[in-house]
Amino acid sequence: MNGAVVMESKTNKKVFWGALASGLLALGILLVSFGLSGVAYAVPIAGVGDFYVEFDKLEGEGYQFYPKLGETSSSDAAPQGTNIIEKLTIDNLQLYKDFQVGGEWIRVKIQASKPVQISGLQHYAGLIEANAKFQNLVLEENNSTDWTKQFQQTSSTIILENAKLKTHYLFQETINMNGMKLTVEKIDKK
Amino acid sequence: MVFKKWRHTRPFFGAILTIVSGLMILWVPLNLYLSTFLPGSVAVIGLLFGGLITLLGLMSIFLPSASKALGIIVIFLSILSVIGALGGFLFGTIFGIIGGALLTAWRVVPAEEAASSPRSDAAAQPAKTG
Repeated sequence: MNGAVVMESKTNKKVFWGALASGLLALGILLVSFGLSGVAYAVPIAGVGDFYVEFDKLEGEGYQFYPKLGETSSSDAAPQGTNIIEKLTIDNLQLYKDFQVGGEWIRVKIQASKPVQISGLQHYAGLIEANAKFQNLVLEENNSTDWTKQFQQTSSTIILENAKLKTHYLFQETINMNGMKLTVEKIDKK
Repeated sequence: MVFKKWRHTRPFFGAILTIVSGLMILWVPLNLYLSTFLPGSVAVIGLLFGGLITLLGLMSIFLPSASKALGIIVIFLSILSVIGALGGFLFGTIFGIIGGALLTAWRVVPAEEAASSPRSDAAAQPAKTG
């Protein structure tokens, strides 16, 4: 032996549980405060692919549209439209996606009974059906080698009524969903 | 044997958990950025938090004497990462809190002392073995 003290690594259990408990408590407080205000930050609904968004009325400010190629659940590159809206309010929002499980179809549905407020929306759609109203609508062509930049549509406000959107990707910076309800149900589908 | 000695002189498991948590937290904003580029988005915060937590985990391996302070920062950042990165779908946050708590509670004691009195605080300093 050379006389050196052999050291051993140890975990102080009291400190560990104390730190763990205070960490979880702080996390709980943060989540509860989110829950109370109903605000979720930076919510991506990506990778789900091909789901439907339906609502009675959408009122938004700062609308922008341009075409793009993007991924869907059945293809790597399908033509889509990108919708960017800075601020919007949606009445009677319903999001749903149908899954085939065995021989049956299951629908996962998210509903909000109260108006939903969203900021920083980015939405890729394959189909948009709605009664639309725009203000200061601009459709323009740009001379660009990038085909996604050749056509652009912008408007200062957008109002969509009785809409159905086939959606491939949805991202919100913040979303305030009061009266949210998630249901999973069996449906009849031919 | 060398690895075991090396491992025993630093908060190994705490650091590994912290690094895993950092990578989980990074995954959400990275995924977002690869599929879409959103300038000025809050997802940048997630990228920053995830990166910092991974870095702190690595630092605690190489600077074991600072592990108490690093652990507290890891817990704090893991909780905040819920904003902007969804905290790696909460798993990253939970792992980060456990990893941070392990880092905070880690210390070294002489082997005999550890065996005889588990509550000794006499040598809360980095080990010098060999």
